[in-house]
Amino acid sequence: MTDPGTCFHCGSPILPGQLVTETGSGTTLSFCCRGCHGAYLLINGAGLAEFYRRRDWQESGVAASDFQSNLSAAYLARFVRQQAVGATVDIIIEGIRCASCVWLNEKILTGLEGVLEARVNYATGRARVRFAPERIDAGTIFSRIAQLGYRPRPYTASAAQEAAQQEQRDLLIRFGTAVFLTMQLMAYAFGLYAGYFQGIGAGMKNLLQLFSLAVTTPVIFYCGWPFFSGAWRALKNRAANMEVLIALGALASYGYSAYASFTGGEVYFETAAMIVTLILAGRLLENAAKRRASSSIELLLGLSAGEARRLTGDTLETVEAAALEVGDRIVVGAGERFPTDGRVESGMSEVDQSPATGESLPVAKGPGDPVIAGSSNLTGTLTVRCEKVAAESFIARMAHLVEEAQSRRAPIQGVADRVSALFVPLVLLAALGTLFWQAAQGLTWESALLNALAVLLIACPCALGLATPTAILAGTGAAAAAGILFRGGDILERLSRVDHAVFDKTGTLTQGVPELATIEAEPGCDPARLIALAAALEAGSRHPVGLAICAEAARRGLVVPRAERLLTVAGGGVTGRLDGERLLVGSARFLAENGVRELPRDRVYPSGALVVHLSCGERLLGTLLFKDRLREDAAEVVRYFSEQQIEGWLLSGDRQEAARQVAQAVGLTRAFGELAPAQKAERLEELRRQGGVVLMVGDGINDAPALGTADVGCAVAGGTDIAIETSDLVLVKPELGRLVLAHRLARRTMAVVRQNLAWAFLYNLIGVPLAMAGRLTPIYAACAMALSSLCVVGNSLRLLRRNDG
Amino acid sequence: MDSSLIALIVLSLCLGCGCWLVFLWAVKKGEFEDIERPKHRMLDDEDEP
Repeated sequence: MTDPGTCFHCGSPILPGQLVTETGSGTTLSFCCRGCHGAYLLINGAGLAEFYRRRDWQESGVAASDFQSNLSAAYLARFVRQQAVGATVDIIIEGIRCASCVWLNEKILTGLEGVLEARVNYATGRARVRFAPERIDAGTIFSRIAQLGYRPRPYTASAAQEAAQQEQRDLLIRFGTAVFLTMQLMAYAFGLYAGYFQGIGAGMKNLLQLFSLAVTTPVIFYCGWPFFSGAWRALKNRAANMEVLIALGALASYGYSAYASFTGGEVYFETAAMIVTLILAGRLLENAAKRRASSSIELLLGLSAGEARRLTGDTLETVEAAALEVGDRIVVGAGERFPTDGRVESGMSEVDQSPATGESLPVAKGPGDPVIAGSSNLTGTLTVRCEKVAAESFIARMAHLVEEAQSRRAPIQGVADRVSALFVPLVLLAALGTLFWQAAQGLTWESALLNALAVLLIACPCALGLATPTAILAGTGAAAAAGILFRGGDILERLSRVDHAVFDKTGTLTQGVPELATIEAEPGCDPARLIALAAALEAGSRHPVGLAICAEAARRGLVVPRAERLLTVAGGGVTGRLDGERLLVGSARFLAENGVRELPRDRVYPSGALVVHLSCGERLLGTLLFKDRLREDAAEVVRYFSEQQIEGWLLSGDRQEAARQVAQAVGLTRAFGELAPAQKAERLEELRRQGGVVLMVGDGINDAPALGTADVGCAVAGGTDIAIETSDLVLVKPELGRLVLAHRLARRTMAVVRQNLAWAFLYNLIGVPLAMAGRLTPIYAACAMALSSLCVVGNSLRLLRRNDG
Repeated sequence: MDSSLIALIVLSLCLGCGCWLVFLWAVKKGEFEDIERPKHRMLDDEDEP
């Protein structure tokens, strides 16, 4: 029934020595840890084992040991809102991947005693739980979600998010109103079209025109208001953008038609109303694309050190990181991040500083050593004395740099705006020319003015509003399906124009974790045996080297013996006992300190490699070399960019030599090492001043200012939160190859946008000479409107075809 | 004939207005906030009492 190599609950490979089994109804199920086993028992016990059949994902989940909800009641209380009946709390549930996750969470939460209602939003992964506070507390709800293997996080909408939601509602109401009124309007318009071909009584025609006027007025002045205010802002800045063209077209057709309906003549109300309606539709589509990306990105953001465990006397309490003060003592467990800068007071551990410094290998920390906010604690528990408040910590300083960088970045003008800026003066000239030329020809000023207005009304294509949004919706949709999240339509445009691609080293071009590179077994020892013994010692280790050894053992399918009395020495290695003999794995110094004599002292190892020795008793068995390996697709991505005439650079916080080596290996032209975060940003700023359009790819906290400075910042999932938050483009899987896909998609989308604009204007441009001659008819305007919109939408849909990504 | 046509136009406007008010109510109630979940929800509750 179940593959014995992977966990039945979470799908992770089962590490040696960690198998938990459960036998029931004739089958044996395997689990990777007690946590998954517990989650299975909970789900099965609630009669919901159907979950395993319903779920439609096959990949493994997040490491099961991460799931504990240790949020204190006092902390959670701030997120609970009291209401007339019960209380409500909003929760982000990390780990929701499919409809069955939503189903499971809703069922389990609703089944809890005291929970009145639980609704989980499928798209955003947020839950709103209404509960009776006298019967259940928020902590119980959170820990129940954590027990299921999801990670709950309290959530309050920021002011900006609430404003965005309000704006979305406002837009939806304007759009709905416009659609309703335009539908009525089209009924009258069809009556008028029929009258145009078959003849219609003057009274009836006028009646229909007056009804049309009545329903069009609110469409223009209520639904279309945002465009008028936008156009006014642009005009005040002496610029012409898309909104100016829209306002011009809509007002001209409305004014012309209103005049005609009182004096007798043809009306173009449907042109005016359609422009407004379709452009509102375009805005809704663009917002939808943006929101989809930002909610997906929000889900990628981990539980950063928003919380800390403070030690007061002998009691531990969970507090907000922002509440920490200089001199406070905090406890940081294995696997947690440091919430602020400080100095280790007690404990020994190894710390992964790569997010902060770009160093690829972990650093041992003991009493007296400084630790940096954002770096993560790997092996042991540390007590740390805070030296900075969170608002002045390393992360906060980076966030400040990011803000500065982003405020300097000017918004780019979209294609549609640039076309409009060119078009508006031309159209105005044509209209003025018509007016004066016809007046000179002896026409009355009145009919000359009407013809000039007709030029304006036909020149603004309804499909203008759809040209960009539909292409962007289709483009970002295709990208999202491939695991690429664009934060907005302008990002596609910028990415398509990039001429410099700058990469970070650690974690971006390289894996960011060590991998076994070379095995040097001493005579008489089999390499496989060497790895099996090392894996026995490292079983359960969180240290990257330990994980790499266990992964190698699993890859080779080795049977790992179970060692006893495992003892980890931070910064040194691990000792343990197997079959009565003492085994040691660790650095040369660690082994020497433990009495191993025959170490290969004279051997020279390649720089950048991490060397680990294994000994049995006092006898050396062999040496393992680890290296931070290049990502497999790194060279391919670099080659693609150079083929596209995009210059590739490497900026790293690591040593110059290491940076140069990596750059050479993947084929980047220039490499700079030993750069502080602000220096990285400065380099990019310099490039941009020289007219470059820069793409920056990074993952660490130290890359964040550079990501904010670049025209397009790209972060890879699994990187640090601040990098993901700062970037415009996020790859949801750590595969660099998707960057190539993203760039191709951006170029294709922009090509489609240009085609769309061409289509949109084409039909209407043919109408301009007709309007100048005073021969424009409503039926022509309607046909141009329908044809251009259809062409635009159809053309955009081509982007969704997956075959040529 | 004209008066019946006017009556029909006014009637259709009234009907449309009704729909429009329902739409406004739905937007205010937040019915459009999550448009993914409902299609899955209908498949879920087969074992509800």
